[in-house]
Amino acid sequence: MTITKNQRKKQASSGNRLSPYQRYYLIFIGIAVVVPFVPVIIRAFSFSWFWPSILPTKWWWEARENAWQPLGWDYIFSGPSHVGEAIINTVFIAIVVTIVCTAISLPAARVIAWEKFRGKSAVEFFLLTPLIVADIAIGLGILITFLQLGLTGGYVGIILAHLIPTTPYMVRVLTSVFQGLSRDYEEQARLLGATPLKTLWFITMPMILPGIMAGGLFAFLISTNIFLLTFFVGQGNIVTLPTMLFAKVIGGSSLDTIGAEVALILSLPGLILLIITERFLKEEIFAKGFGG
Amino acid sequence: MRKYLVGLVTAMVAMASGATSYAADEEAFRDAFLSGNLSYDDVLARAAEEGEVNWFFWGGSQALNTWVETSVSAAMAELGVKLNVTHITNTRDAVDLALAEKATGKGLGEGSVDAIWINGENFYTLAKNDLLFGSFAQLLPSSQYLFWDPSDARSGANLFDFGFPTESREMPWGAGQYICYIDTSRLSASDAPTTFAELEAWLQDSPGRFTYIAPPHFNGNTFVQEVMYAHNPDGTGHAPFMSSAESLGSAEIARLITPGFEYLKRIEPNLLGGSDPVYPKDQNVNETLVASGEVDMACRFGTSAVHTGISNGTLPPTTQNHLFPEGYMIGNKNFIGIPGNAPHPAAALVLANVLASPDSQISRLETIGYEIGIDAPKLSSTDLQRVADGMPPLYGVTLEGLGNNKVPDTNASLVDIIEGVWMEYIERGDTSRSLGQIVADVYNSKYGS
Repeated sequence: MTITKNQRKKQASSGNRLSPYQRYYLIFIGIAVVVPFVPVIIRAFSFSWFWPSILPTKWWWEARENAWQPLGWDYIFSGPSHVGEAIINTVFIAIVVTIVCTAISLPAARVIAWEKFRGKSAVEFFLLTPLIVADIAIGLGILITFLQLGLTGGYVGIILAHLIPTTPYMVRVLTSVFQGLSRDYEEQARLLGATPLKTLWFITMPMILPGIMAGGLFAFLISTNIFLLTFFVGQGNIVTLPTMLFAKVIGGSSLDTIGAEVALILSLPGLILLIITERFLKEEIFAKGFGG
Repeated sequence: MRKYLVGLVTAMVAMASGATSYAADEEAFRDAFLSGNLSYDDVLARAAEEGEVNWFFWGGSQALNTWVETSVSAAMAELGVKLNVTHITNTRDAVDLALAEKATGKGLGEGSVDAIWINGENFYTLAKNDLLFGSFAQLLPSSQYLFWDPSDARSGANLFDFGFPTESREMPWGAGQYICYIDTSRLSASDAPTTFAELEAWLQDSPGRFTYIAPPHFNGNTFVQEVMYAHNPDGTGHAPFMSSAESLGSAEIARLITPGFEYLKRIEPNLLGGSDPVYPKDQNVNETLVASGEVDMACRFGTSAVHTGISNGTLPPTTQNHLFPEGYMIGNKNFIGIPGNAPHPAAALVLANVLASPDSQISRLETIGYEIGIDAPKLSSTDLQRVADGMPPLYGVTLEGLGNNKVPDTNASLVDIIEGVWMEYIERGDTSRSLGQIVADVYNSKYGS
C-alpha cells in the first residue's frame, strides 16, 4: 500500500494536472499515512507520558542519565532486549523468502501470461486463494501439517509458510509484466541464433527486471510483517520483529516506549528497501501490477 | 495465544517426531539424588554435561527480564549451563505445556520445561497431576538460608504454598505482599480508604475511581480473598480459609463467602465503567488505568512495583504505596518448581540453587528492588547489611506497617472455588441461581456431589 501512496505523492509533486478532488484525496491519504505515526514516534522518545499531557511529561534523554536500568533505546540496544537478533531473523527470512518466491513465480507467471491451456482461470484463481482465506485458517492448517512433518520451530518451516502469502503477489505482478511484453522479442532473439539461456539473460531479464524488483519488494515487505504464521510455525522459538511487537502489545496496556521503538524498527526494513528500489522502478510496473 | 498452541500441540504431538529417550538414565539420577546419594558436586558435573536449562516465567516485567538475562545467565554460564528463558504471559501456560507433554507420554528427560516460576494454584495443579520432580529443595546447599523446622512458625511460608504442603518440591525464590497504590495528585493518602467499608463509602462519593484485576489472574484472586477474609461472618478473618475445600464442604464455604460476595456485588455499580464494569486483565493494564488518570487507586502483588513503575516512567512520580485493607494484606512466597518431565533435571536443580543463593537474591534486590525470598535471620551479618542497604524506597509505607497487616493466603483448593464463584456470580452476573446454589454447583463440578 505504501507504494501506491508514494507513487501518487510523486504524481502530485510532478504536475498541476490534478483535479481538486484528486488533491483532497491526496491530502487525505497523506494524513492517513503520517498522522498515526506521529504518536508512535513521540512515544518512542518519551520516558513518561500521562493523560492529559499532549506531549510527554518527561523525555527519554532527560531520564536516561539517572536511570538504574537501561531505558528506552538503551534497552533496545542492550543484549537482553534481543532486538538485534529479531532484526537479523526478520531480514534473513525475508531475503530467503524473496529469492525463493521469485524463483518459483517467474516460470508460473510466464506460462500464465503467454500460454493458453485448459483450466487456466482455475489455476489463476487457485494462486489467489491464500489472499482470500483467513490467515488464522492457513496458520492452523500449516501448523498441523508441519507438526507431522517436524518442520515447526525452525527457519525452514517459517520460510515455507511465508511463501504462501507472498507468492500470489509475486505471480500477479510478474504476470502483468509478461502480459505487457510481447514474446516476439524472445522469438526474434532465438531466430537470430541465441541459446535459450542467452535469450533469458540478455533479452527477457532486462525487460522484466523492474517487475522482479516490484514483486520482490512486495514479497520482502509482506514477509517482514507476517506475525501469525511466524508465531504458529516458529512456536515462539524464533523471534522476529512482528512477534516481538505482538508480545509487547498483547498485554492490552497502552503502547509503551519499548513497544513504540520496536514498531519504528519494524518499519525500517521496508522504508530502506523502498528508497533503494525506487530508483530502479518504473511507475508503470505498479500501475500494471494493480490493474492486472 | 500460547494456550491455543498448547491445545494443538496436545493433539498433534503424538504424530510429531519423537524425542530420543534417555529416560532411564535421568530416572536413575533422580532417584539417586532424591535419596541423598549424590553430592551437589555430582549435580554440578551432570548439569554441565546437560549444558542447558529451559526456564519458563512470567515475562511482563522488563526490569526482571533484563536482570535475569544479565545476572542469572552469567551465573549459570560460569557453571557451564546455558540459560534459555521463555517469557510467558501466564504461568498456567507453562503448566499446560508440561501437562500436554506428559499426556503424550513424555517422561523425565523428554519434556521441554525444566523450571517454572510458580506458586499457589499452578503448583497445586502440577502436584495433583503427579508432575513434580520430587522433594529436592532441602537437598540443595541454598536451603541453609531457609527455615524448614515445622515447629518454627517462620517455616510456614516455605512449607505451605496457599495452604498446600510444598514438601520441598519447590524452592522458595521470592516473597511478596499484596498492596494497593494511589496517585496522590488526585487522592491524598489521608483521603484514601483503608478498610473495605471506607472503600465502599468513598466509591459512593466518587464512583468509577477504582477497580480490581479480574480473577482468575492471581492479582485478582488475591483481592477477592482479602474481601472474603474481611467479611468472614464469624469475624475470624483468614483462619477458616486455611482449610481445604473438601474439609469445609460446600455449605460451610457458602456460609463463609456469602457476605464477601454480597459486598463485591454491592460495590460493582460504582467501579470503573459503572453499569458495565471494567475489570483489568492484569497488573500492567491496571497500571495504565492509574497512569492515565482513569482510576485513583489500584492493588497488586509486590511492594516494589511503585518503585519500578516510577523508575521506568510507567507510573507518575506522585504515586505512593497505600496500606489497604488494614489487617488483611495477604503475603506469601513464590517458588521455582521443577516438572517431573524436565529435559535437564540436574541443570534445573542448579538453577534453583543459584536463584535461592544470597548473592543472587541480593543482586536482584539491589538491581530491581524485588523482595528477597530467603529468610533474613538465616543470612550472615554481612549479607544482612547488604539487604538493608539494597532495600528500595517503599513510597509511603514502612516495613513495620507491611508486617503488621500481613496475613497468609487462602488454601489453593478454596481459591479454585472462590474464583469459580466470582466468574458465575460477578462476571456473568448470574441471578437465576442463589449464591448458595452457585457455590454448590462450582463445588460439585470439582469434587462431585
